Amino acid sequence: MNKKLDDEYYQLLEQIQAADFVLVELTLYLDTHPNDQQALQQFNQFHEYSQQLKSVFEPKYGPLLGFGNSPGGENKWEWGQGPWPWQV
Amino acid sequence: MTREKTFTLVKSYKPFHSKFDPCPPIGRKYYRTPPNLYINFQPPNMEQFTPEEALKYGTLWKFFYDFYDNPYRERET
Repeated sequence: MNKKLDDEYYQLLEQIQAADFVLVELTLYLDTHPNDQQALQQFNQFHEYSQQLKSVFEPKYGPLLGFGNSPGGENKWEWGQGPWPWQV
Repeated sequence: MTREKTFTLVKSYKPFHSKFDPCPPIGRKYYRTPPNLYINFQPPNMEQFTPEEALKYGTLWKFFYDFYDNPYRERET
Protein backbone atom coordinates (compact mmCIF):
# COMPACT_ATOMS: atom_id res chain seq x y z
CA MET A 1 0.00 0.00 0.00
CA ASN A 2 2.76 2.43 0.88
CA LYS A 3 4.34 4.60 -1.73
CA LYS A 4 7.98 4.00 -2.42
CA LEU A 5 9.93 6.88 -0.93
CA ASP A 6 13.12 7.01 -2.95
CA ASP A 7 15.60 9.85 -3.25
CA GLU A 8 13.68 11.31 -6.13
CA TYR A 9 10.60 11.66 -3.92
CA TYR A 10 12.47 13.85 -1.46
CA GLN A 11 14.23 15.77 -4.18
CA LEU A 12 11.02 16.56 -6.00
CA LEU A 13 9.18 17.41 -2.81
CA GLU A 14 11.91 19.84 -1.82
CA GLN A 15 11.93 21.46 -5.23
CA ILE A 16 8.16 21.86 -5.07
CA GLN A 17 8.43 23.31 -1.59
CA ALA A 18 11.12 25.76 -2.67
CA ALA A 19 9.23 26.84 -5.79
CA ASP A 20 6.02 27.32 -3.83
CA PHE A 21 7.84 29.34 -1.21
CA VAL A 22 9.13 31.67 -3.93
CA LEU A 23 5.54 32.02 -5.06
CA VAL A 24 4.41 32.90 -1.54
CA GLU A 25 7.09 35.57 -1.26
CA LEU A 26 6.35 37.01 -4.67
CA THR A 27 2.63 37.06 -3.88
CA LEU A 28 3.29 39.21 -0.82
CA TYR A 29 5.65 41.40 -2.82
CA LEU A 30 3.25 41.84 -5.71
CA ASP A 31 0.46 42.80 -3.31
CA THR A 32 2.40 45.96 -2.56
CA HIS A 33 4.13 46.30 -5.95
CA PRO A 34 1.44 45.38 -8.49
CA ASN A 35 3.22 47.25 -11.29
CA ASP A 36 6.56 45.49 -11.07
CA GLN A 37 6.61 43.72 -14.41
CA GLN A 38 9.80 41.85 -13.70
CA ALA A 39 8.44 40.36 -10.49
CA LEU A 40 5.20 39.48 -12.24
CA GLN A 41 7.17 37.71 -14.90
CA GLN A 42 9.16 35.84 -12.29
CA PHE A 43 5.94 34.87 -10.55
CA ASN A 44 4.45 33.46 -13.73
CA GLN A 45 7.67 31.67 -14.50
CA PHE A 46 7.72 30.01 -11.09
CA HIS A 47 4.03 29.20 -11.34
CA GLU A 48 4.77 27.39 -14.58
CA TYR A 49 7.76 25.65 -13.02
CA SER A 50 5.77 24.59 -9.96
CA GLN A 51 2.98 23.17 -12.12
CA GLN A 52 5.56 21.29 -14.12
CA LEU A 53 7.13 19.79 -11.00
CA LYS A 54 3.74 18.77 -9.64
CA SER A 55 2.76 17.15 -12.90
CA VAL A 56 5.86 14.98 -12.59
CA PHE A 57 5.33 14.30 -8.91
CA GLU A 58 1.63 13.45 -8.80
CA PRO A 59 1.40 10.53 -11.22
CA LYS A 60 4.34 8.93 -9.44
CA TYR A 61 3.67 9.58 -5.76
CA GLY A 62 0.02 10.47 -5.46
CA PRO A 63 -2.05 13.62 -5.15
CA LEU A 64 -0.77 16.73 -3.41
CA LEU A 65 -4.05 18.61 -3.17
CA GLY A 66 -7.49 17.44 -2.21
CA PHE A 67 -11.02 18.33 -3.30
CA GLY A 68 -10.46 17.97 -7.01
CA ASN A 69 -7.33 20.09 -7.27
CA SER A 70 -5.22 17.03 -8.05
CA PRO A 71 -6.08 13.94 -10.09
CA GLY A 72 -7.50 11.16 -7.94
CA GLY A 73 -5.43 8.28 -9.21
CA GLU A 74 -5.50 5.89 -12.16
CA ASN A 75 -7.82 3.14 -11.02
CA LYS A 76 -7.87 3.38 -7.27
CA TRP A 77 -8.50 6.20 -4.85
CA GLU A 78 -5.06 7.43 -3.72
CA TRP A 79 -5.99 10.32 -1.51
CA GLY A 80 -6.38 8.30 1.69
CA GLN A 81 -3.01 6.61 1.47
CA GLY A 82 -0.03 7.75 3.48
CA PRO A 83 2.57 8.66 4.16
CA TRP A 84 1.52 12.29 4.15
CA PRO A 85 4.01 15.08 3.56
CA TRP A 86 4.30 15.91 7.26
CA GLN A 87 5.23 12.31 8.01
CA VAL A 88 8.16 12.06 5.66
CA MET B 1 33.43 50.96 27.95
CA THR B 2 33.67 51.92 24.31
CA ARG B 3 30.60 52.05 22.20
CA GLU B 4 30.60 50.35 18.81
CA LYS B 5 30.70 52.79 15.96
CA THR B 6 29.78 50.34 13.23
CA PHE B 7 26.16 49.68 12.41
CA THR B 8 24.63 46.58 13.93
CA LEU B 9 21.16 45.11 14.17
CA VAL B 10 21.81 44.09 17.77
CA LYS B 11 21.30 46.98 20.14
CA SER B 12 22.07 46.95 23.79
CA TYR B 13 21.57 49.02 26.91
CA LYS B 14 22.51 48.76 30.53
CA PRO B 15 19.58 48.91 32.95
CA PHE B 16 19.95 50.37 36.40
CA HIS B 17 20.73 47.75 38.95
CA SER B 18 19.79 48.36 42.57
CA LYS B 19 22.01 46.94 45.24
CA PHE B 20 18.83 45.60 46.86
CA ASP B 21 17.90 43.60 43.80
CA PRO B 22 17.63 39.98 44.98
CA CYS B 23 18.69 38.58 41.61
CA PRO B 24 22.18 38.75 40.12
CA PRO B 25 22.24 41.33 37.32
CA ILE B 26 22.29 40.37 33.69
CA GLY B 27 24.17 43.59 33.13
CA ARG B 28 24.00 44.59 29.52
CA LYS B 29 20.69 43.75 27.87
CA TYR B 30 20.40 43.05 24.18
CA TYR B 31 17.61 43.36 21.67
CA ARG B 32 17.50 42.89 17.94
CA THR B 33 16.01 45.17 15.34
CA PRO B 34 14.75 43.43 12.20
CA PRO B 35 16.18 44.66 8.88
CA ASN B 36 12.81 45.76 7.57
CA LEU B 37 12.88 48.63 10.08
CA TYR B 38 15.65 50.25 8.06
CA ILE B 39 13.87 50.22 4.76
CA ASN B 40 10.94 52.46 4.08
CA PHE B 41 9.26 50.87 1.10
CA GLN B 42 10.80 47.84 -0.54
CA PRO B 43 12.48 48.93 -3.77
CA PRO B 44 12.09 46.67 -6.82
CA ASN B 45 14.82 44.33 -8.07
CA MET B 46 16.46 43.52 -4.76
CA GLU B 47 19.01 40.77 -4.64
CA GLN B 48 17.38 37.37 -4.19
CA PHE B 49 18.26 33.99 -2.76
CA THR B 50 17.96 30.87 -4.87
CA PRO B 51 14.65 29.04 -4.20
CA GLU B 52 16.36 26.41 -2.03
CA GLU B 53 18.19 29.03 0.02
CA ALA B 54 15.03 31.09 0.34
CA LEU B 55 13.21 28.09 1.78
CA LYS B 56 15.98 27.59 4.28
CA TYR B 57 16.40 31.21 5.29
CA GLY B 58 12.70 32.04 5.33
CA THR B 59 12.87 34.96 2.95
CA LEU B 60 13.41 35.42 -0.76
CA TRP B 61 15.36 38.65 -0.41
CA LYS B 62 18.84 38.70 1.01
CA PHE B 63 18.29 42.05 2.66
CA PHE B 64 15.55 40.70 4.93
CA TYR B 65 17.47 37.73 6.22
CA ASP B 66 18.29 38.14 9.89
CA PHE B 67 20.38 35.63 11.75
CA TYR B 68 19.71 35.14 15.44
CA ASP B 69 22.49 34.28 17.80
CA ASN B 70 21.98 34.27 21.54
CA PRO B 71 23.95 37.25 22.88
CA TYR B 72 23.77 35.93 26.44
CA ARG B 73 25.35 32.59 25.70
CA GLU B 74 28.72 33.37 27.23
CA ARG B 75 26.96 33.78 30.60
CA GLU B 76 25.70 30.21 30.57
CA THR B 77 28.81 28.74 32.17
